Amino acid sequence: MNQLTLEQALKMIEAAERWARDIAESPCSIAVVDKAGAAIAVHRMDGAGMATTDIAIEKAWTAVAFKMPTLMGSRWLDPRNIGKLLGDHAMGMIGRGKGRLCFIPGGIPVTNEENEVIGAIGCSGVPSGVGDISDTSVSQAGVTALYE
Amino acid sequence: MMNLEVAKKLLQTGIENAKEMGKVCSIALVDENGWLVALYRMDGAPIPTAEIARDKAWTAAVFRRPSSEVSAYGDPGAPGFGLNVQNWNDRLTTIPGGLPIWDGDLMIGAIGACGGTPEDDVFLCQKIIEEINSRQDNFRL
Repeated sequence: MNQLTLEQALKMIEAAERWARDIAESPCSIAVVDKAGAAIAVHRMDGAGMATTDIAIEKAWTAVAFKMPTLMGSRWLDPRNIGKLLGDHAMGMIGRGKGRLCFIPGGIPVTNEENEVIGAIGCSGVPSGVGDISDTSVSQAGVTALYE
Repeated sequence: MMNLEVAKKLLQTGIENAKEMGKVCSIALVDENGWLVALYRMDGAPIPTAEIARDKAWTAAVFRRPSSEVSAYGDPGAPGFGLNVQNWNDRLTTIPGGLPIWDGDLMIGAIGACGGTPEDDVFLCQKIIEEINSRQDNFRL
């Protein structure tokens, strides 16, 4: 598996959507990007805010660009962590990547058997970023579906 | 009203038609206000096609006419001369390939395709709308 196909992307999105509808009970947008960070498929569920599509794409882009879940990066921006992780420079992440960098939790990279990042999924619209009912868990449902 | 069910149907139809034509392309679907509902980029379609398809759909939705007709504002004699070069939301484009979707008198959204020649893109959009119009219940889910 070297790159994500549209078919795989839709499979992931369908699963994430089901999770968002049945368990999180919150309409949201879900985006899958390839290893270049470019969108393959985007869905905005009925009732999800109009800005959520872009945020979902940005989260997925950030997950590919940093090869890690945006949940990890969000700690860099947490003011409580200033001086602990990357020093004051961590806040400089805000606004980088031509405005596309988005460290709100909810983007998760997808890896292949060789542990290379081949894409990412991002979700936006669930009221919380972290936790059992969150953007991250919706994205995780999508990632899980790919490996089934 | 545009909803994800309709959007998925339209885009799947579009992907099937594009495969029949032997094209790889991106197809975007926006609601009546120009906001993205769903976007598919086929395997092998160049990266910028996704954004261009979205731009075309946005243009068709907010002007309520095919994106190709927006270039008519370039005529100095036309009312609204210059509308086509205003930088609306960074999205305005006059490339053919964006069509509004009508349900009777009500515009429910717009579709944009990018990947082939402009003629191919327009043809693809028309195919999608025809296919959906041929089903009676499609917009009343």
